[in-house]
Amino acid sequence: MKALMSVGALIGAIGILLLAGMILEIVPSNTVRLVEGYMPMQVLFELTLFVAGFTGLSYMLGTMGMALPRFWQGISFWCFILLYLKYRVYPPIPFSVRAMYGTVSLIAVFMWVSANEEDWKKFKQPIMNVLDAQSGANKMLRYAYLVLLPILIGGFSYNAMVPKSEEPIELRTVHPAPPASTKVHGKTYTLQTSQNPYRVNLEGKFDQEYSNANIVEQGMGRLMKPNANPWDKDAQGYLKYVREGGEIFFQNCHFCHGDNLNGRGLHAFAFNPIPANFTDPGTIAQLQETFIFWRVAKGGIGLPNEGFPWASVMPPWEQHLTVDEIWKVILFEYWHTGYYPRTWD
Amino acid sequence: MGLVAGKKLFSIMALCAMIGLLLLPIAVSLPSLAMGADAPDAVKKDGEAKVEKGRDVYYKTEGIVVGAPAPKTVDGPRDYPRYNFESRVLLWFANQQHLYYGSFVLAVPIFCMVIEFMGVVTKDKAMAKRYDQLAYDFIKISLTAYSLTAILGGILIFTFLTLYPAFFGYLSSIFRPVMHIYALMFVAESGTLYIYYYGWDKMREGFLKWIHLSLSVILNVIGTLLMFLANSWIGFMMSPAGVDEQGRYLGNIWHVIHTALWNPLNLHRILGNMAFGGGVVAAYAAYKFLASKTDEDRAHYDWMGYIAMALGVAFLIPLPFAGYWLMREVYAYRQQMGITLMGGLLAWLFIIQATMIGILFLSTNYYLWQALGRMRGAEKYQRYIKYLVFVLCCGYLVFITPHTIVMTPAELKAMGGQQHPVLGNYGVMSAKNGGINVIITTTILSFVWYMRGNKVSTVSWSKFGNIFMGIFFGCAYFNIIGLAVMGYYIPANVRVGLSVPQVATTLSCLFFMFALNSFMMKGAKQMGPIEWGKISARSQYALIMLATAFTWMMGLMGYIRSSVRLFWHVNEIMRDNSPWAYTHTVGFAANMISFNVLFFWISILFVFWLGSLGIKKAPVEAKAGVPGGAPQPAGGH
Repeated sequence: MKALMSVGALIGAIGILLLAGMILEIVPSNTVRLVEGYMPMQVLFELTLFVAGFTGLSYMLGTMGMALPRFWQGISFWCFILLYLKYRVYPPIPFSVRAMYGTVSLIAVFMWVSANEEDWKKFKQPIMNVLDAQSGANKMLRYAYLVLLPILIGGFSYNAMVPKSEEPIELRTVHPAPPASTKVHGKTYTLQTSQNPYRVNLEGKFDQEYSNANIVEQGMGRLMKPNANPWDKDAQGYLKYVREGGEIFFQNCHFCHGDNLNGRGLHAFAFNPIPANFTDPGTIAQLQETFIFWRVAKGGIGLPNEGFPWASVMPPWEQHLTVDEIWKVILFEYWHTGYYPRTWD
Repeated sequence: MGLVAGKKLFSIMALCAMIGLLLLPIAVSLPSLAMGADAPDAVKKDGEAKVEKGRDVYYKTEGIVVGAPAPKTVDGPRDYPRYNFESRVLLWFANQQHLYYGSFVLAVPIFCMVIEFMGVVTKDKAMAKRYDQLAYDFIKISLTAYSLTAILGGILIFTFLTLYPAFFGYLSSIFRPVMHIYALMFVAESGTLYIYYYGWDKMREGFLKWIHLSLSVILNVIGTLLMFLANSWIGFMMSPAGVDEQGRYLGNIWHVIHTALWNPLNLHRILGNMAFGGGVVAAYAAYKFLASKTDEDRAHYDWMGYIAMALGVAFLIPLPFAGYWLMREVYAYRQQMGITLMGGLLAWLFIIQATMIGILFLSTNYYLWQALGRMRGAEKYQRYIKYLVFVLCCGYLVFITPHTIVMTPAELKAMGGQQHPVLGNYGVMSAKNGGINVIITTTILSFVWYMRGNKVSTVSWSKFGNIFMGIFFGCAYFNIIGLAVMGYYIPANVRVGLSVPQVATTLSCLFFMFALNSFMMKGAKQMGPIEWGKISARSQYALIMLATAFTWMMGLMGYIRSSVRLFWHVNEIMRDNSPWAYTHTVGFAANMISFNVLFFWISILFVFWLGSLGIKKAPVEAKAGVPGGAPQPAGGH
């Protein structure tokens, strides 16, 4: 048990030192890299490791007779989480989400320190001591709080009320709801029921499973599957149309959406926000192909009201591409990212 | 002997007669449905008029047009008469209050039925009295609320008639027979409820007690049917069926009732009502506990709060799954609606909803951990609570991560685009399913700990049993998280289907682990009694938090469900042309929901106070249920 706790303590100590180093910029922030694609699980794993580490650290300090009071344990753990979210996770997490996470962490700390009467008493003790002010130091602290707390609250209020020249916060809808149907080149498409006419098997029949089986292997760094190379001159059916879609993509779309479809094309950073990252699981992977069809055809200018502030410069591609070309380019986007369009059984 | 048999016969006959009388209104109203009484005269005169056929917008079947098209309203005093106030907000308020009370009075009789049944079947006489007293306390609370529900229902109808006459006229032209049945069933519900309540003393012994219990079953069947009928109206507004594109009724009332979303709505609402009812009663008990002056009262209300919480949470656990089914059906019905709800305009309200769901589970867990404190011998579990807190909060953080992030343009730039490599993954359904299942599984684990808090298993295989349980829970977490990760690498339709094994895993924990734990704890050595009443005040605040969160969430979900129709009274059939056919801001909606919650709690406090004025002593001789050495409640052990 003691050995286990010692390992935990070591992890905890290293974690604190690393984070402190990163905050003070002594340790490069990429010392332990967050690997793209694995980041979500990595963050959870790191947090688990830290909890184990702090448990060990607390245990070891206790056995050495230097136990940290429960009050300070709670406060320091909360501060650690806030600093972790601010300095460890990259790209930076927007404040609104950090505020949510910080509040949940605070609730978690409260639940931990008040889970039983003994712990709750220990946690409250320093607060009660200051409120009771039985010693000189506590009396001084109480007076200090009496002065500092109103100043602090006043400061926050002032900061909240003072006019700022910052751009306002935007509640931008990433996926505005599509209309029930859309008219492109004179033909009406019902978004609920339309299908990509090029998602076909070798016999030319619509075959979702066939196309699903021939997309790139997402988990393996987006490698092509054997015998599923669209650039093979003999490729037919779905793969042939993927190739044609790819040609259209690289003639029209990659300047903004990038060679890897990750929204980092040549012109991408001229825009704010930068173009959509199709490799992110929150974009095309969540949507029906008909949604993409509507968005590509109508572009930024065709965003509905809820798409406010309409911050998209994507042209309405129906003015430049045929319907067939739009479907083919969509086919290519799904193939290249290794995602499957949303379908319903 | 003969006298007893005669009484039994009489009771059964009386019960049958009553059921017959209660069902009579339905039977009377049925022929009119079959005959299509609402068909216009033109149709009835065979051969005189040409029969016009229409195509059902949902079922795609052909039917004879028997109704008028949905009115094309215009903004003005004819279609939208108004006060100098937003009519929609008035309707929102009336509707919400009616729903709160309606949910409460539908849920509480179900609790009474369960508790009364527990009292009847238990062999322990003292416990039987306690259960009976508790069931009686519950129904007493709901009785005043019942009148208020009816009054609020009247106010709601008047609000509809006076502020939205064109819309309500259209709705009632289609649902005419359903509305009549609804009204008649309400009469039946009232009659049964009054017999049930006032007959408590008369029917407290022997066979008559079973008759009394049967009454509660009838009461609940009627109540549930009532709710299903009311659900058909909102189901029709969201996903109309049984009418053609112009909104003309095609003569098949079952199609109109049985819309795409009716069944998911029914299930979701029944579970939601139960969880809500449990929360309100638990909050009532918590309030009484905090105000109690004696140990005896504290013990009673502690126990009452625990039972109400346990019943509420029993229905809370499957609630997210029912919600998931509802949303899945919404998506399948209209992609547009699904995206508006979860990825578009209303996405942030869904994040608030996730936050509230998380609060419900956190409060439940917190209450259970506090409850361990009233058991001697439960200390061994308390030191591990911090790990449960961590697991719960990790699940919670993932569950509440927004897909549409609120940020400044500067933050957007710093993030390098709209998609964050960590948050983006947490913000989608695959991760959220994992998050909520982790939360629920942890709640089940907390319950298992609570159930064995003051006990030590004495079965010979207890060590094996404990290891098995540990491995089972470990595998469950692994499976839930593994499936959540796997969800990113498979087709969307398969991914949606992954929720089934995840839910199955969670429910396996619930059923198998509860069952195994019960076997292990049979004849277990008691480390000490449950000291009812000796629980921290914090636990009671957790119960109040639970109830408030339920109330707030109900208000929120009602608003979301309603506003997803956007500018339609009846989706894609009847357009809302009033000046209020826009979606409120998140801030306004939140304030309005808070106002509704506040009003409900103030009014229900008044109801509780009214209930306490007419305190009638227990139907049994003495107030049963003294704490300390009292037997443990069957609900928890």
